[in-house]
Amino acid sequence: MKSFVSVLAGALTAALLSTAAYAENLVLYTSQPNEDAQATVDAFQAANPGIEVEWVREGTTKIMAKLMAEIEAGNPVADVLLIADTVTMQRLKEAGHLADYKSPEAANYDAALYDADGAYYSTKMITTGIVYNTSAAMKPAGWQDLTKTEAKGLVTMPSPLTSGAALIHAQTLSNIDGLGWDYYKALAANGATAAGGNGGVLKAVATGEKAYGMLVDFMAIREKAKGAPVEFVFPAEGVSTVTEPVGILKTAKNVDAAKKFVDFLLSEEGQNTAVKMGYIPARNGVALPEGYPARETIKVLPVNAADAVKNSDADLKTFSGIFGTN
Amino acid sequence: MLERNDLRSRPRWLRFPFQSSTQDVPQARVGARPAAEPRWLVPFVFACLFLLCLLPLISLAKAGFAGLVSGQSIGVLTEPATFAAIRNTLITATGGMIVSVVIGAIFAFAVALTDVRGKLALSFAFMLPMMIPPQVTALAWVEMTGPASPLLKTLGIAPPLGSPQPLYSLAGISLLLGVQHAPLVFLALKAGLSASPRDGVEAARLAGATPFRVISDIVAPLSLPGLIAGAAIAFVSGVGNFGIPAILGIPAGIEVLPTLIYTRLASFGAGTFGEIALLSSLIAVIAAAGLILQQRALSGRDYRIIGLSGAHAAFALGRYRLVVEMALVAILFFVLAAPLAALVASSLVPAYGVPLTFKTMTFHAFEEILFRQAVTRTAFFNSLSLASGAAVGLLFVTVLAAYALTRRRDGLSRIVSSLVEIPYSLPGIVMAVCFILVFAAPVPVLNVTLYGTVWIILIAYFSSFFAVSLKPVVSAFHQLDPALEEAARLSGAGFFRRLKDIIVPLIAPAAGASVILVFLIACNELTISALLWSAGTQTLGVAIYNLDDSGSSDLASALSVLVVLMVVFMMLLLELMAKRLPRGVVPWRN
Repeated sequence: MKSFVSVLAGALTAALLSTAAYAENLVLYTSQPNEDAQATVDAFQAANPGIEVEWVREGTTKIMAKLMAEIEAGNPVADVLLIADTVTMQRLKEAGHLADYKSPEAANYDAALYDADGAYYSTKMITTGIVYNTSAAMKPAGWQDLTKTEAKGLVTMPSPLTSGAALIHAQTLSNIDGLGWDYYKALAANGATAAGGNGGVLKAVATGEKAYGMLVDFMAIREKAKGAPVEFVFPAEGVSTVTEPVGILKTAKNVDAAKKFVDFLLSEEGQNTAVKMGYIPARNGVALPEGYPARETIKVLPVNAADAVKNSDADLKTFSGIFGTN
Repeated sequence: MLERNDLRSRPRWLRFPFQSSTQDVPQARVGARPAAEPRWLVPFVFACLFLLCLLPLISLAKAGFAGLVSGQSIGVLTEPATFAAIRNTLITATGGMIVSVVIGAIFAFAVALTDVRGKLALSFAFMLPMMIPPQVTALAWVEMTGPASPLLKTLGIAPPLGSPQPLYSLAGISLLLGVQHAPLVFLALKAGLSASPRDGVEAARLAGATPFRVISDIVAPLSLPGLIAGAAIAFVSGVGNFGIPAILGIPAGIEVLPTLIYTRLASFGAGTFGEIALLSSLIAVIAAAGLILQQRALSGRDYRIIGLSGAHAAFALGRYRLVVEMALVAILFFVLAAPLAALVASSLVPAYGVPLTFKTMTFHAFEEILFRQAVTRTAFFNSLSLASGAAVGLLFVTVLAAYALTRRRDGLSRIVSSLVEIPYSLPGIVMAVCFILVFAAPVPVLNVTLYGTVWIILIAYFSSFFAVSLKPVVSAFHQLDPALEEAARLSGAGFFRRLKDIIVPLIAPAAGASVILVFLIACNELTISALLWSAGTQTLGVAIYNLDDSGSSDLASALSVLVVLMVVFMMLLLELMAKRLPRGVVPWRN
């Protein structure tokens, strides 16, 4: 009994010490799926020995809520953010939460892909298109196909209340002539559901609970390569896109390590790491991974970033109103 | 034979039956001034109780009230989403309660009253669903049913494409809540049934009563209090369960109150504290209503047994014995073996929707989770150290509290005893919200922020599991002969000396049991940590939930399999220690 207690007491002491140790580590908040986040961190740590990275993964909307709660409590834990979209980053920048950093790697990037003050940098391109189960009756070609009767009750999509990509997607489609919020209303009327993140959509479609889904490209293409019964379509009308920007918080405790992390993601090595995971790289001159069509054939729908920043809350409410609370 | 006992020793307000064992009859001198204890003891105990039990509730009430007065949060009470969540909560909790009562009662009657074989193994297996984290149960069942179930696909009987997952429904949530909480009914009922008098049954049989008559006149009245109590706990646990509706309800757009609080807090952040306080108060009200209803139903039904109890009243089943045994095993197969097999299967497939064969089978998920994912190590480390911290830390407080409480019998100590049970009776999500409200701002004077650190989770565990830790210790103190300590005191031994040399050795087995019980519960906890975790403070429950949420259900399944193995291992450990522990501490034993 005594030794049992002393072991437990030892574990507790170790726990105490380890919470102190977290302060030394670079803390990353990311919306990447767990495996990718771990692979990114592993590659970074291999390239920068001596820096330990502690990371947390949640959907962009959720991780922002966590961060904002921490900021309000006066104890923001994160040093660096790697989240789905620049709109969220822009909001953070306008609220004064981001630190400016001019990365030397920026020269290799299109100026539209990073903030002029250096508050955030796009790291990849993630488009949202249509995924379908290979045993589905209809092969969808465009967004409107999901409102057809063949797809009744068989469509699912991620919720903007969880996923940053899903919010941008909704904001993009809702401003396109011929789609708009009416398109989402038609989807809802056709029995489409919206819940959780992209992972849930992939699961539902791959497992056959649903036949069609709106999904980020890399998940579908990667899962297909692993043998899952899914296909990915870049719809005829075009795709929405997010660029997974990285940014350093003003309250960061490990600024130097954070800067190294940003530089690494933007470097050729970092970009190749992303390609290996199946993402479209953002850096000029890095080839697309297997399973993608040529870069120039992908039609990207426009989105007004300033409006998107301004209307985020209203758009979330509109979406919630159409599909229910989640 | 049966005696109505109207002299209730203390109010049953918010008390769980397996805590309020009847053995704690006051034996200390009423109103005696405990001269032997140090001056700081009572203030210390009261300070702990205030911090752990009262302060959180006061903060909740304050935030809710502030939200109401300012009018900012009052809107949440009239939103359709809130009404839907209340309705869904009531439906699933009631449905779950019915399932729990049916399954739990079948097992309790069979194990306590008949001569089926392998009672210990049956009880052990039946207790497992309660010890397995609810989100793991939900994951396992999801993998078992639905169009992509690796198990069904492998067997070739998977439903066609587009078939909705049948569990993503109110009925599915109710069913799983029922399975998860059936052991609570089983425990509450078995305790009463095991104590039912063998001589009573035998006398009735000798007087010519049919088995049916024996059941309706002797067994049923005796088991009714246990049944009502078990049903009430199952209902309250169902109201507060987060793991099952989170996995089954959120994808289908079915919100219950705990998941509504979680999604609001997770997606809208700190701006919604007022609303969340109100929603939490709603859960607290529903839970309290359930327990008050239980108390009403039990009042006037407090039977005490005269004569030889403990000897179990056995019904010989004769040639039906094998049938009953098969039925019990079949139930265990469906609620335990099949879902766990599905969980293992889904941790071995390479991608969603691929059938499991020897060719497709891969240990990639286990490799990834064990050797690459840093979060696994963090989560195991956090859960184990939080659980041991809570178990051992609580023991220090509860030993002192039990010392102070059992040595006096005034009104104050009675109030305190009831107070301890409130945080345990309230759903974890309510306690988590309470502690966010307490610690969202830096602690005054010290100016330390606890929100976002591991300490807020530990304090919340202290609060929630105080009653679990206190119960075995208090019963051990009641069995202690005060003369021993008195003698030591007269010989000049100080308080700590007496504690070390007299009290602690005597209550050691109970203390060990208290540590293990808290450890087991805290290790598998999700509801509290789901709201309180932050970078580096993920618990096992959170890690599994997040892995599933990010679409890595193979990883989630693999981690779940590891957690189930750990739970079984710890339960076996407890089983091995059972002989050295006081009766009634190991829940699946008689």
